[in-house]
Amino acid sequence: MDLTQGFGARSGVVGPVTGLESLNFSDEFRHLVATMPPENTGGSFTALLEMPVTQAMELLHFTDSSSSQARTVTGDIAPTTLHPFGALTFPSNSLLLDRAARFSVIATEHNGNISGETANSLQSNSGANLDRVKAEPAETDSMVENQNQNYSSGKRKEREKKVKSSTNKTKSSVESDKLPYVHVRARRGQATDNHSLAERARREKINARMKLLQELVPGCDKIQGTALVLDEIINHVQSLQRQVEMLSMRLAAVNPRVDFNLDSILASEVSMN
Amino acid sequence: MVESLFPSIENTGESSRRKKPRISETAEAEIEARRVNEESLKRWKTNRVQQIYACKLVEALRRVRQRSSTTSNNETDKLVSGAAREIRDTADRVLAASARGTTRWSRAILASRVRAKLKKHRKAKKSTGNCKSRKGLTETNRIKLPAVERKLKILGRLVPGCRKVSVPNLLDEATDYIAALEMQVQAMEALAELLTAAAPRTTLTGT
Repeated sequence: MDLTQGFGARSGVVGPVTGLESLNFSDEFRHLVATMPPENTGGSFTALLEMPVTQAMELLHFTDSSSSQARTVTGDIAPTTLHPFGALTFPSNSLLLDRAARFSVIATEHNGNISGETANSLQSNSGANLDRVKAEPAETDSMVENQNQNYSSGKRKEREKKVKSSTNKTKSSVESDKLPYVHVRARRGQATDNHSLAERARREKINARMKLLQELVPGCDKIQGTALVLDEIINHVQSLQRQVEMLSMRLAAVNPRVDFNLDSILASEVSMN
Repeated sequence: MVESLFPSIENTGESSRRKKPRISETAEAEIEARRVNEESLKRWKTNRVQQIYACKLVEALRRVRQRSSTTSNNETDKLVSGAAREIRDTADRVLAASARGTTRWSRAILASRVRAKLKKHRKAKKSTGNCKSRKGLTETNRIKLPAVERKLKILGRLVPGCRKVSVPNLLDEATDYIAALEMQVQAMEALAELLTAAAPRTTLTGT
């Protein structure tokens, strides 16, 4: 099997000091391979999903404990710790072994790199690996679910657009980048004509802009009703235009008298602002 | 954004769907409008310095030209009003130029100058007469438009170049126009204050 060969290669790379530990691993995994025929089933993460968590933890702790104890070089550990795994049935061993191999490689590397390192680092590794293990199935779960939801939501939206008026519908008009058309659903108790939907969208647009204008023009917040707000807006625009005229008259009146020293004016203007 | 809200809304049950999309729909329209308008509003607040410089330079030039031309005029009232009109037009044009052609009213202001010059050369009186008669006809024909639409028309007349513009665009243009006008007023006020503050000094030292 490729994995065992990989183990052998890695064990060769690590070095003589750690070679014993890696040997233990490779021995243990070879035992595993021998007892359970490898089944290449799809190679998905469902293997770990199907496996109960405790067994996964056991596996990891097995590597952890074995690596920590490997320094004492007790070959007795290997057969005794194999027993819990003998009873297990792994649906896709290749994946499992791959994972265990990764964890074991990390463990051996740590052992090899840091001689004085205690089992803490290994435990942290295994803890991180555990997190990874737990996270990945969760990720795949959410991924699969999201995909399903996206498909179903698209279908739902399509269905809703085609279906005729019913009182229990809700409305949303979306212009999403993902899907090519505008989704419009009727509000509860309102018609789902194309015309009325378009009217409603149009009205929403106009109302949004009116709101912005209201915020811009002072004193429009309190007023209710479009007509009065428009009155205020018109008054405001007219007053601004009149102000501009007044100011221009002022400037015209001031100007002939002033001797133009542009630089001084500019400098003072800059200092003002 | 709102688009990201929708996947989550899809997941929840039918009951919650009734409440959330209502808010999000209007919110979405609002967000779209806001995105456009806030950019323009912020623009009118940050480019103020440039506007002041541009206004000043052009107005100074205009003043110089006006001075040279008014030496021929005798009445002071005409001088002032004529100069005022010119200054206002100049200020409007500078304002429109600083809009960089993104808005309709700015393009109309800049284009109107060309049209006014053309009209001067051609028959100006006849065209104004036609306009007035057209106005009277339209007013007598219709009894009463709905109040809101009437006001929208008035607003369209106030904003330059927006008479035959659709309602949402008209509102957009009005928003930008109001922001621009406010900036113009502030700039001209500051300039006027400066000049009136500078004037007594120069008159004392000068003549």
